[in-house]
Amino acid sequence: MTSPDIHALTGAYALDAVAGMERADFERHLAECESCAQEVHELRETAARLALAAAEAPPPHLKNQVLDQIRTVRQLPPETTVVPLRRRSLAQRLTTVAAAVFFVAAAGLGVVVVRQNGQLDDAQARAAQLEQILSAPDAELLTLEGSGGEGGSMKVAVSRSQDRMLLVSGDLANAPAGKDYQLWTLANGKPSSRGLVQPADGDVAVEVGDLGDADTVAITVEPDGGSPAPTQDPPAMFKKLPAA
Amino acid sequence: MGDRARRLRSARTDPANDAGELMQRVARGDEAAFAQLYDLLIGPVFGLVRRIVRDPAQSEEVVQEVMVELWRSAAKYSPERGSATTWAMTLAHRRAVDRVRSAQAAADRDDVVGRRDANRPFDEVAEQVTTRLEQEQVRRCLNSLTDLQRESVLLAYYGGRTYREVGELLNTPLGTIKTRLRDGLIRLRDCLGVA
Repeated sequence: MTSPDIHALTGAYALDAVAGMERADFERHLAECESCAQEVHELRETAARLALAAAEAPPPHLKNQVLDQIRTVRQLPPETTVVPLRRRSLAQRLTTVAAAVFFVAAAGLGVVVVRQNGQLDDAQARAAQLEQILSAPDAELLTLEGSGGEGGSMKVAVSRSQDRMLLVSGDLANAPAGKDYQLWTLANGKPSSRGLVQPADGDVAVEVGDLGDADTVAITVEPDGGSPAPTQDPPAMFKKLPAA
Repeated sequence: MGDRARRLRSARTDPANDAGELMQRVARGDEAAFAQLYDLLIGPVFGLVRRIVRDPAQSEEVVQEVMVELWRSAAKYSPERGSATTWAMTLAHRRAVDRVRSAQAAADRDDVVGRRDANRPFDEVAEQVTTRLEQEQVRRCLNSLTDLQRESVLLAYYGGRTYREVGELLNTPLGTIKTRLRDGLIRLRDCLGVA
């Protein structure tokens, strides 16, 4: 895509009318183009005026529902939370990567996001969730063994205290024709399928909750559609998880 | 920075600036401030989401999600990046659009109804005076757009369409749609005095 073309997307983008890879491309462009970012900012303020003009009286019962619900919802910390410098920079770096990845995932371009828990469906919320995992005192960021070659690399952020992990890759090669990647957790050698993993242009973001006593995460190459139990030994990629 | 000074000045004169102050209190866990913020924002959030999502039960779900998300992520709001009202409306629009684009509902939405509605943005007479004033001003400024700009902007914003869908609905090349959306919004921005 040429640069004048991409600049013309500011209006469509401010209206949430750009989807998929094009959206991700434009957001990368925005990060580098200050005048575009300023224009998007102004056009969003403009679009918000259209929202204000559309105001309607809500059903009265909604307020109590919302007020009841917020009492059970923990607030996110501000972005300037004081955390050890190294961990913070790592979290921030990965959050940026993940945000880009999640935009693709959110656009539904073939990335399978395995959701064992949580109903977050936009990229920002997912990036925030990653931040939450990495800000846990026991969070670890590991690279899967067997990854890093031509097939691409796969990292996992895992927190035992939060009982979940997040697998992220920016360069995972597509599974061979007629095959799928399948994700597993193993507890004492007993596998549980966590669904299929399908990279979209290499991007993958998979959240897995309810780790329980799982001690290993593994990705195998299985026949199309996956298998009831892993058929590949050793797995294409795997990693021992930190002890529960 | 000229830009920043201009933004701060516009923030001070923004009648919705209350929302910014409330948001900062909400970020500290102030539930009473949240109840006030709710009252301030619920009308537009509800109206916007309902226009896009259409189904009443689903609209309510999305509205609830949006309001709870404002509570949850209040600390992420920074006045430097724009008004709290815009922040909330951007979130509401995004969530509504995510809902209709992810769901089967997208396929079920009636394109004919969508187009008809897009051309008559405010049929209902708003009860609230502030909303009525806002509607008047927005209507006046929408009328300063060309028909094609207006139709494209409204289909995208209230219809929750991608610009590609807008192009298909209006049988217009994508390059033209992109330009119309941008030019239309710029004209609207200048008419509304958004800085």
